[in-house]
Amino acid sequence: MDWKGFFILFEQGSIGTWVRESPSMLAFPTIIALHAVGMGLLAGSNAAMDFRIFGFARRVPISTLENLVPIMRFGFWLNAVSGVLLLLAYPTKALTNWIFYLKLALIAIAMVDTLLIRKHILQKPNVDATSVSARAKILAALSLACWAGAIVSGRLLAYTYIYLDASFTDY
Amino acid sequence: MEVFVHSVQVWLKGTELYYIMNNVNWAWRTSESIHFIGLCLLMGTVGLFDLRMIGLVKRVPVAALHRLIPFGILGYGMNVMTGITFLTGASDQYIYNPAFQMKMLFMGTAGLNVALFYLTMYRRVASTAPGDEAPFPARIAGGVSLLCWVGVIFCGRFLTFYRPPWHWCPWC
Repeated sequence: MDWKGFFILFEQGSIGTWVRESPSMLAFPTIIALHAVGMGLLAGSNAAMDFRIFGFARRVPISTLENLVPIMRFGFWLNAVSGVLLLLAYPTKALTNWIFYLKLALIAIAMVDTLLIRKHILQKPNVDATSVSARAKILAALSLACWAGAIVSGRLLAYTYIYLDASFTDY
Repeated sequence: MEVFVHSVQVWLKGTELYYIMNNVNWAWRTSESIHFIGLCLLMGTVGLFDLRMIGLVKRVPVAALHRLIPFGILGYGMNVMTGITFLTGASDQYIYNPAFQMKMLFMGTAGLNVALFYLTMYRRVASTAPGDEAPFPARIAGGVSLLCWVGVIFCGRFLTFYRPPWHWCPWC
């Protein structure tokens, strides 16, 4: 099987076909709407954490930012599931576009960054009694940049794809 | 009313912004990107505050968390501005679109809700101690706000699927 056959097979799966072709508003439209809600929760709560580390809303104790983690986790899983469904619907469109890999890489970096922020800043004993280090602010800036980049590259996917489906017709 | 709407559309189509949105390659995608970043700012601050109201993230002190709201207002401003560029660029795709009409309804409800919140309960809410539940009316207001913004996002994404004239809705 050549690489085009892989895309054809991928695209013909029953879940992907349902997402792509069902006339129901619960199929593609609802999945893409949930993907936007998850984005707002995940990137939004990360941004709130980053703003606090930068020094805004100073009276929010840094240690309480750990309470944002369940919101981040919810947004992440909502988007992982909806994202996989969207990928199953249009695998060729995403996987033949380098911006899709850029988006995934930016999300991966942002996630590792959040883990580092949690481990070295939020979960540090006495964090509320000490001032925020320059290193913490660099991690927060990286987080904001990666999320913004992931959002922009996600949006660009609608404009930059080369093939829509496994017929490999140029668009 | 129809004559008025039509004359507004004619005016919009004569503007520089209409020309840019329809002839400059990067205009639409740049506006959309900003619109999505604004959405995140709004959800991450106003949405987070709403979640605190309904009883999540209770360890976070309310008045302190409220200091992040300016970022939500910034996001809102970004989205009103970029929203105007979409509306100007393709007015008939929006004005007659039931998803857009619902989106405006949700935004209006969110606006009324937030006005009511600040006029009648914010002072009492701000003194909620860390770990404490917000007062009951504030929990309702937070829930309404959250539902409205999720509704706004849903309707925004549904716009494409209700493009006039290929749609149906009870009032179209």
